[in-house]
Amino acid sequence: MKLLQNRPYIGFVLPGFVLYTAFMIVPLLVAIYYSFFDWSGLGPMTFVGIDNYRTLFTNPRLSSVFWNALGNNAKMVLAVLCIIMPIQLLIAYSIDIKVRGYRAFQLIVFLPYVISPTIIGFFALLVFDPNLGILNTIFDALNLEQFRSAWFGNPDIAFPLMVGVIAWQGIGAGMLIFLANLKEIPREIIEASIIDGASRWRRFIHIVVPSLLPSFTNNIVLGTIWAMVQFDIPYIVGGSQGGVDNSVDFMNLFFYRFAFGGAYFGETSMGFGATISVVLFFIILLVAVGQIAFLRRYENR
Amino acid sequence: MARRTYLDRIRASRTPFTVAIVVVLTLYCLIALFLIPNVMLSSFKTRGELINNIMGFPHAFTLENYVTVLVEDNFIRYFMNSVVLSGLALTSLLFFASMTAYGLSRYRFRGRDALQVYFLLGTMFPIQLGILPIFIIIRTLGLTNTFLGMILIYTANMSLAVFIFSKFFRTLPYALYESARIDGAGEFRIFVQIMLPMSKPVLSTVGIIQFVLIWNDFYMPLVFLTRREVRTLTLAIFRYLSNFLANWHLVFTAATIALVPVIVVFFLFSEQLVAGLTAGSMKE
Repeated sequence: MKLLQNRPYIGFVLPGFVLYTAFMIVPLLVAIYYSFFDWSGLGPMTFVGIDNYRTLFTNPRLSSVFWNALGNNAKMVLAVLCIIMPIQLLIAYSIDIKVRGYRAFQLIVFLPYVISPTIIGFFALLVFDPNLGILNTIFDALNLEQFRSAWFGNPDIAFPLMVGVIAWQGIGAGMLIFLANLKEIPREIIEASIIDGASRWRRFIHIVVPSLLPSFTNNIVLGTIWAMVQFDIPYIVGGSQGGVDNSVDFMNLFFYRFAFGGAYFGETSMGFGATISVVLFFIILLVAVGQIAFLRRYENR
Repeated sequence: MARRTYLDRIRASRTPFTVAIVVVLTLYCLIALFLIPNVMLSSFKTRGELINNIMGFPHAFTLENYVTVLVEDNFIRYFMNSVVLSGLALTSLLFFASMTAYGLSRYRFRGRDALQVYFLLGTMFPIQLGILPIFIIIRTLGLTNTFLGMILIYTANMSLAVFIFSKFFRTLPYALYESARIDGAGEFRIFVQIMLPMSKPVLSTVGIIQFVLIWNDFYMPLVFLTRREVRTLTLAIFRYLSNFLANWHLVFTAATIALVPVIVVFFLFSEQLVAGLTAGSMKE
């Protein structure tokens, strides 16, 4: 009790610290430990050194699934950074300059963000189901059979469709981060530039974009993490195998199959699952640290 | 609501660019404005009618699906599960996160800065990355298929909440704390009786965004809640979806039941939601 009286912060911080450490931080480290074992999750653990890693990278059957999933995550990162983020900025900017109906746009663009992923998955099935879906029904009704498609059943277009569905749900978050940043730009600067007669485009490039570096940093880092840990919608729409021909497979799904889904051996493989999550962890660590270091340098200039 | 100033009108002045933006955004918003009401309306259609009339008003409103979903398929139970779990987890998260943040921002002590950074790590590394060891811990404690296990996990995922609370507590005047001390109040009493009541705005900001995240969470229930009695609404809808053809008419009803509370929260508290989402993004 004496200790708590002299150092009251201990009593405040300790409970949260214990919970956070036990369920957030320690598991990340223990996952590294598990990755060196062959373990089904029950029964004895056999130390196998780096065998799990070797299997992941070199076993012909598994590594092709691994590279495909990782490749999809990489494509997702690119889609977030090169397509989704510019759109988020464009919408945020339009709302900030108060185009007609901007309040409704802000609400409705953000709305899907609060909808549960299972319902988003249901929306996707409702629109794209080959037999019952709205799109094929419309094409039938208009006698446009040539536009009918298996949609998610067609591995050539499943991935871009998935990007679209994921973007539709999540686009509002980054958009709002840009918007919050846009509102912080001092009005006087904008007004001065209007009085000086700068065109909208020049104003955007020379005044708005340079002021947005903090939100760019945030959106790039958060967007990358978002793309790297995709699970819910691909799993709900494409199943645990990640769609036809693994077309919408992602690292997190690949991991889930081993950890909980009895992927290939008919039983779960905790050791191998842990290996996948560790690889994912280090990729996120590298990418995020690299991005932050790079962007910090930019911000300081 | 401030009136548009002259310069506002210049900024938004109609150009081909703004016209195009408005058109495209309108079309984009039509997706949500079509899908959500369509699902709600279709929840009143019979299975037979849905096949032929997927878009549009139901010919005859029927509550048949609601009876099937809520009573026969136990959605009342799943709905209550979601309410109870979200409520308890949210209370626990708000309590522990605010307490931690208060300790980290009110007092000065050695290692405080390092601890603040430590509590931020969770924003970089999603809790899913450690799910395997978490699973083993929860199983060892005998907490699979219990709400207590879920509450522990949701509470531990406190980085963002701690960050937002810390930022707020730093703005509370120190004099307030000192005068309470002089009046002889204990540290914890000062926190509960003086600081927390002053924190209502930030409690609602953090609370509403976290409520939405917990209410909608799919991953943790998928891993930990395998038994029927503890199933949440999100998970129950997923079970329907995995047999889509058989349950197709019921999914509309189940989705409506899950959508209505969230949409009500959304329109009532959209400002707090936006604040909660962006509060964590402004790091300085």
